[in-house]
Amino acid sequence: MFSPLKRMAFHKFRRAETRLHELNYLFWECTTRCNLNCLHCGSDCHVDAAHPDMPVEDFLRALDTIDKPARNFIVALTGGEPLLRKDLETVGMEIRKRGMRWGMVSNGHLYDRKRHLSLLNAGMGALTLSLDGMEESHDWLRNRPGSYARIDQAIGLAANSERLNFDVVTCIHQRNLEELPFIYNYLQNKGVKAWRLFTIIPIGRAKVNPELHLSDNEFRAMLDFITEYRKKGDMDVKFSCEGYVGSYESKVRDTPFFCRAGINIGSILIDGSISACPNIDRSFIQGNIYKDNLQQIWQDKFKAFRDRRWTHKGECSDCKEYKECQGNGFHNWHGDKDSPLVCHKGKL
Amino acid sequence: MKRKQIKTLLGGISFTTALFVFQACYGMPQDMQDDVFIQGKVVSQSTNLPIEGIKVESDIYEHYGVTDEQGEFAFYTPWVESLRLTIEDTDPESAGSYVSKDTVLITPEHELFLNIALEEN
Repeated sequence: MFSPLKRMAFHKFRRAETRLHELNYLFWECTTRCNLNCLHCGSDCHVDAAHPDMPVEDFLRALDTIDKPARNFIVALTGGEPLLRKDLETVGMEIRKRGMRWGMVSNGHLYDRKRHLSLLNAGMGALTLSLDGMEESHDWLRNRPGSYARIDQAIGLAANSERLNFDVVTCIHQRNLEELPFIYNYLQNKGVKAWRLFTIIPIGRAKVNPELHLSDNEFRAMLDFITEYRKKGDMDVKFSCEGYVGSYESKVRDTPFFCRAGINIGSILIDGSISACPNIDRSFIQGNIYKDNLQQIWQDKFKAFRDRRWTHKGECSDCKEYKECQGNGFHNWHGDKDSPLVCHKGKL
Repeated sequence: MKRKQIKTLLGGISFTTALFVFQACYGMPQDMQDDVFIQGKVVSQSTNLPIEGIKVESDIYEHYGVTDEQGEFAFYTPWVESLRLTIEDTDPESAGSYVSKDTVLITPEHELFLNIALEEN
C-alpha cells in the first residue's frame, strides 16, 4: 500500500486536479471503420461503419476553439482503425502547427515501413499497438489468421524508432493468461520498453463471450504476474488505469488509481459528440462540435465526471475503499448505471 | 495560476512527476520530446526551377522529407544541439541529376525554413 502521507497528499492532488480540470488529452474517434473484426471489440466496429469519417476541417475547427492548450496537450487518434484513413499525415501536421502533440492507438495491421516513416515525419510522437497473445491466441482474438505476423512487423518498426513514445497493450483473457511470460520475453527481444495489461470489459461484442473474461483467481494471477515482472526493472510493465485494485495498487502501477475521464481527458466522437474517453456510455455525451463550442463545453459541463458522488450507490454504496476508488473507471458505468459493470477490487 | 502551483506541490509530495505524465487507459503514452520542424524549397542553381524527388534527411534515423513537384518538403525531426542535414537526389533519372550536399550543419530553432539550390552534375 502507499503510505498514509502519500495517500493524503494524493487525495488533495486529485481534488486540485479535478477543480482545475485542464484538458490535456483529447481523443479523436476519426473513423469507426475497422479492418479487423476482433472478438472483444468494445465499439462493435465493422468494415463498413454507420457513420462516415469526420472531415479533417471539422475536427480542426473544433480544435481551434481551445484558446490556450495545456503545455502537454495531446491528440490521440483512435477508431475503429485510424490507419484506414489516408490523411493522417495531413491531420498530424495541422495538429503540430497549432503547437499541440499527437499520437495514435492502432491494431497495427496496416503499419508498414512506408506508413511508419510518413507518420513519424508528420510529427507523430506517441504510439500504442495491440498484441493480444502469441500467434495462435492473438489471431484468435483478432479473428483473422495472419494478423500476428502484421503486428510483429509493426512492433519491430515502432520499437526501433528513437523518437516514438511507444508501448504495447495486451488484453488478457483465458487463452493468453498462461502465455504472459512468453509475451514478456518476446517484447523484450523486440526492444519494447513499456507494456500495459488490460482486462476486457463486458461491452460491445465482448459481452457475449465468457472466454474473454477472467475469473477472480485468474485476475489475481494476472496481477501477481505484473507484480513479479515489475521487479525485474527491465521493462515498464503495468496494469492499465482501468480500475482500482485495492492492495495491489502500489504493486502494479507507479501511481494510485485515478480515472481522469472528463477531468483531463476529453473526446470528439465520430458524429461530433463531445465526451470523455470513447468507450464511455454514450448517455454521458456533453455536447456536439457541430452545434457547440468544444472549449466552452469542456469548461462548463462534464459535471458527472468531476463530481462522482452519484456513483456511491449499488455495489459501491457500502464499500470501505470508495474514497480511493470513486466508483472505478468511468467506462464501467453503462446502461441503467445502478452499479459498475466490473468491480476490480471485488474480484480480489 | 495559484491553483496550478498547489496542484504541482501536492503532486510532488505524493508521487513526483509520474502523476503528471499520465496516459488515458485506452490511449497512447504522452509525448514531451522536443522536435524541430524543417521545411523549405529546393531549386536548381542554374534554372531556379523547383526540383522534385530530392531527399532532405536529418542525421537522426528515419527523419526526412522528399520534395514534391513544387520542390517543397516538410518534416519533423527530434531537436538536438547541432543537426546535420544531407540533401540527396534520389531520382536522378527523372529531372536531371544534382550534386548532393551532405554536411549542412545547423543549430536549429524549433522551426526552420531552408531555401536550397543544387548544382547540376
